[in-house]
Amino acid sequence: MSDETRDAIRTFIVDNFLFGDTSHPLPADLSLIDNDLIDSTGILELVGFLEERFAITVADADIVPANLDTIERIAGFIARKQAA
Amino acid sequence: MSADTAMGKGSTWVAMSSVRSFEVGDVGAVADLFQRLLRKTGEPASEDLKAYLRSLFLDFTAGEPDIRSRVHVRADGSISGFIGVLPVEMEFEGRRVRAANCGTFACDDRDSDPFAGARLLRDVLSGPQDLSFTETSNDVSTDMWRSMRATILAPYSLEWLRILRPASFALEAAAGRLSALRLLGPLARGADAIVCRRGEKQAWSHYTPLAGKADALVDAPATDEEFASLCRQFVRQYALHPVWDQPVMETMLRHVARKALHGERVQHVVKTRTGKAIGLYLYYGKTGGIGRTVQVMAEPGQEAIVIDCLMRNAHARGLCAIRGRTQPTLLQAMMGKKCAFLHASSTIVHSRNPDLLAAMTNGRAFLNGLAGEGWTRLIGDRFG
Repeated sequence: MSDETRDAIRTFIVDNFLFGDTSHPLPADLSLIDNDLIDSTGILELVGFLEERFAITVADADIVPANLDTIERIAGFIARKQAA
Repeated sequence: MSADTAMGKGSTWVAMSSVRSFEVGDVGAVADLFQRLLRKTGEPASEDLKAYLRSLFLDFTAGEPDIRSRVHVRADGSISGFIGVLPVEMEFEGRRVRAANCGTFACDDRDSDPFAGARLLRDVLSGPQDLSFTETSNDVSTDMWRSMRATILAPYSLEWLRILRPASFALEAAAGRLSALRLLGPLARGADAIVCRRGEKQAWSHYTPLAGKADALVDAPATDEEFASLCRQFVRQYALHPVWDQPVMETMLRHVARKALHGERVQHVVKTRTGKAIGLYLYYGKTGGIGRTVQVMAEPGQEAIVIDCLMRNAHARGLCAIRGRTQPTLLQAMMGKKCAFLHASSTIVHSRNPDLLAAMTNGRAFLNGLAGEGWTRLIGDRFG
């Protein structure tokens, strides 16, 4: 998955969950849940963003930490969806 | 049913969860969630509550098998979330539409199921209904609905409050935290008697029953049958409205018969002296307490006078204040009636149909109260 995808996800997270604070460390393997960056409300915003930005359909069953807890996992999830 | 598996790195959660329809075997677990998360009590759920949840979310809704309440199930089979869905048959400009009234929304703590609420809500909103709504959304669930591109209806989301006896009202409000203060009731009633004697004009601080148009009307108790029939008649003025058949409406009124926490039921119809019904109201209250209105309905243009009748009745029964939920037509009619307006919870709608959305955002829909969750025992009743 391209850096462009990771950057787009990172930008979305910074804009929406970190109030634009780019100084917050946000490595690709940082757990968004354990670090209180995302909750049930945030995940719906994230899913809406992924569906719109990457033209994928996210099923309810896809909304699990395995797919969406880190930038790396999200990028991998997008890649799998686009390849399917 | 949907399911997935995952283990969070460094996390305490294990996700292998699913969302599925609410079933009889879930009643006990959902009742416990209800007690713990919505009623905020550590007491175990009573058999009465369990029986009611089954009756409301399974038996009452059996006619619409594809619009069902949903549960979120953990990997170990335990229930971690619930959305209670009541199907509502509605009519919009002559054609039938199906609505999902999504009232009771409870999810366990985020550590055990961080995305449970999101999955539940998405699952329900992607159902076969034409529109979904809730009328008692708190701030957290409002944010979730917003994330799903739902619309908050501000004119339906306010609580109106009319203070009738200011000292008793202040005492009652404070007694919510310290019940011993109710011992000061006689003192408050004395103060109210002085305040209410001071002037003949209406004031926001107190209510004075004055001679007026309401004197020309007959305001009397209504049977369930009459009340149901009139509700069905008055609701037709709205472009988007529930279609209640008489037995369904009477069943709802049987549910609404008892709200032990809110006081005695007052179910009245307002008629002209020739017997023509121009409106109705339904509220609960006890002497010295704050009355809670479930529904006010009226012929177009008669809302203000029906509200006058309601306030007059509440005052005559010794209530210290009366409150209720706004609807656009009521909001208009309440101007000048010295009401305060507060926001406690939101009415939110979700639909992919722009015409339905427009009807709701333009105030041409009948929502809340009997069209919402106000008629269920879950609001205002005690379960023994």
